[in-house]
Amino acid sequence: MQTVTNKAKKGKIGLKKDLVFYCLMLIWPVAQFCVFYIGVNFNSFFLAFRNITMDIESRSYVYTWSLDGIKKAWETVMSPEIIQATKMSVLAWILGTLIGLPLGLLFSHYIAKKMPASGFFRVILFLPSIISAIVVATLYMYFLNMAVPMLIKDTTGNTVLSLLDSSRPVGYQFGALFFYNTWVGFGVNVLMYANAMSGISPEMIEAANLDGATGFKEFWHISLPQVFPTLSVFIVTGIAGLFTNQFSLFTFYGSDAPFQTFGYYLYKETLAHSTDLPEFPKLAAFGLMMAVVAIPLTFAVRWGLEKLGPKED
Amino acid sequence: MEKIKNRSKKVALSAFGIILLVVLAIYAVSLLGLLLWGFFASFKEPIVEFTDRPYQLFPQKWTFNIGKIFNSFYVKPSTTGKNVYVEMLLVYSLLYSVGCGVASTIVPCLTAYVCARYAFRFSKVIYTVVIVTMIIPLVGTLPAELELATRLKLYDKIYGLWIMKAHFLGMYFLVFYNVYKAMPASYSEAAKVDGASNWEIMVKISLPLTKNTILTVFLINFIGFWNDYQTPLLYMPSYPTMAKGLFDLVQGTAVAGLQNVPSRLAGTVIVTVPILVLFLAFQKRLLGSLTVGGVKG
Repeated sequence: MQTVTNKAKKGKIGLKKDLVFYCLMLIWPVAQFCVFYIGVNFNSFFLAFRNITMDIESRSYVYTWSLDGIKKAWETVMSPEIIQATKMSVLAWILGTLIGLPLGLLFSHYIAKKMPASGFFRVILFLPSIISAIVVATLYMYFLNMAVPMLIKDTTGNTVLSLLDSSRPVGYQFGALFFYNTWVGFGVNVLMYANAMSGISPEMIEAANLDGATGFKEFWHISLPQVFPTLSVFIVTGIAGLFTNQFSLFTFYGSDAPFQTFGYYLYKETLAHSTDLPEFPKLAAFGLMMAVVAIPLTFAVRWGLEKLGPKED
Repeated sequence: MEKIKNRSKKVALSAFGIILLVVLAIYAVSLLGLLLWGFFASFKEPIVEFTDRPYQLFPQKWTFNIGKIFNSFYVKPSTTGKNVYVEMLLVYSLLYSVGCGVASTIVPCLTAYVCARYAFRFSKVIYTVVIVTMIIPLVGTLPAELELATRLKLYDKIYGLWIMKAHFLGMYFLVFYNVYKAMPASYSEAAKVDGASNWEIMVKISLPLTKNTILTVFLINFIGFWNDYQTPLLYMPSYPTMAKGLFDLVQGTAVAGLQNVPSRLAGTVIVTVPILVLFLAFQKRLLGSLTVGGVKG
C-alpha cells in the first residue's frame, strides 16, 4: 500500500515536472505566434481603418480611426493598373495550373517510375530551387536581351527586340516571364509528387499493366489518383499564390515593370513607402480586400476538389 | 545485391516514356546551357568581346571580372550613406542566413518535439493551428508586419529578422512532429528511470537522434535565406546582403567599370558558388529528406 502511494506521489511530481518543462518550452513559440501572426493579422485589419499623421511638434505619429484607407484602396482597386494586375494575376495562376502543374506531374511520374537518368533529372529539376532567383533571372534576362537578338542578327541579318524589351506589347513580356516562372518552378513540388507516386504498391502496377494500362494510361489511372491528395493540398495552398505571386517582375524590372500582379504591386508599394507610415493604411486596406477574396476562394476550391477529385479505385 | 534489385525495377521505356525523356533532356540542356553560358560570359572581356558575340560560349580572352567585383563593388544604403563592400556583404549574408536559418529550424523542431512527446491537450491546439494557418490564406499582411516591426524597434536590425523568423508555423513543424511521434518511447523512458530530467532527455537523447533531419531543414532554410534579397531589402536596408548587392548590381550600379554585363554575371558567380558547393556536398541529404518530409508532412 505504501509503495502504491509513493508511486502515485512520484507520478504526480513527474507530471508536474513535465508540465513545467512543457510550459517553459512553449513560452517563446506561443508568444512569437501571438505577436507575429495574431498581432500582425489584427494589426493588418485595424490598420486598414486608421489614419496616420505626423505630429510635427512631438515628431511622433498620431493614429486616428478613419475610412480613408479603405476609400483610397478601393480607388486603387478600380484603377486601370490594378484591373490589369487582376487580369495578369489570374492569367498567370490559370496558365501555371494548366501548364506548369501537369508538366510537373508528368516529370514526377518519370522520376517515380525510375526511368532512364531519373536520378539526374531529379537533381536538375531541383537545381533552380537552390540557386538564387536573382541569379537565374539575371542569366535568363541577359541571354534573352543580348545573346538571342545578336545570334539572330548574325545568322539572318534581321534585327529583333528581346522578348523582355519594355517597348514590346505586354503579351511578349508576359509570355517570356511565364516561360521563365514555369521553367524554374518545378523544384520541390516535383519531388513531393514523385515521392507520393513511388508509394504505389508494385502489385497494383503489375495488375494495371496486365490490363493494358501502360505509359500514359498508367500515369492517368494509377499515378494521378495516388498523388491526388498531395496535389489537392498544393492546389488549395496555391490559391494564396494568386494574390502573393510576384511573377518575378521585381527581380527582372525592379520598380518599373511593364505590368503588375497583386503580389508585385503590394511588395513594390510597401518597399517604396517602407519609412512612410501614413501610406500604410491604404496598403493594409488593399491587403484586406485581397484576403476577403482569397479566403472564400480557397475554401471553394477545396470543396470543389473534394467533390470532383478522382477516386483511387 | 540491393543495387541489382533496384536496377531490375527500372522500367522499359514506352513511347510515352520516350517523349518525357526528350522533354526532360531539353529541359536539362536548356538549364545547364544557360548556367554554363553565364559562367563563361562572366570571364569575357566586357567592352568588345561580349558586346560583339554575346552568344559565344567560351571566352577568347579570359578576364577576371570576379576580381573587379571584389576590389571595387559596393552598395550604398540610403539609410546610412556608407559604402558596404563585398566582404561586408558576405558577412551580412552569413549573419542573416545563419541566424534566420537557425531560428526557423530550432523553433519548429523544439515546438514539434514537446507537442509530439507530451500528450497535453494544448499540443493538439498547436498542431491544429499549424494546419489551419497553412490552409487559410491571410494574404496582404506585409504593410502591417513592417509597421509592427517598426513599432517594436525591429526594423532595420539583423536580429529583428532573427526574431521574426523564429516561429513554428509551416511544413517543417509537421516534418519534425512526425519524426518525434515515430521515435520509440523506450529510450526516454529508460533515461527517466535512471533519473534524467526532461531537459536532459531532449538534449542528450532525442535531439541527437534526429540530428540528420535538423541539419537538413537547417540547410534548406539557410539556402533560402542566402538567396533571398527581397526580405533584407525591405526589412534591413542598412545591412545589404550579397544577394541584395547582386540585385543592385543588375539594376544598375554607380560603381565605375562595373556597368557591363560580364561584371554583373561575375556577381552571379559569387552568389552561387557557396550554395552550389553546399548543394553538391549535401545533395543526397537535401533531396532525400525533402522526400521524407513530403510523405509525412
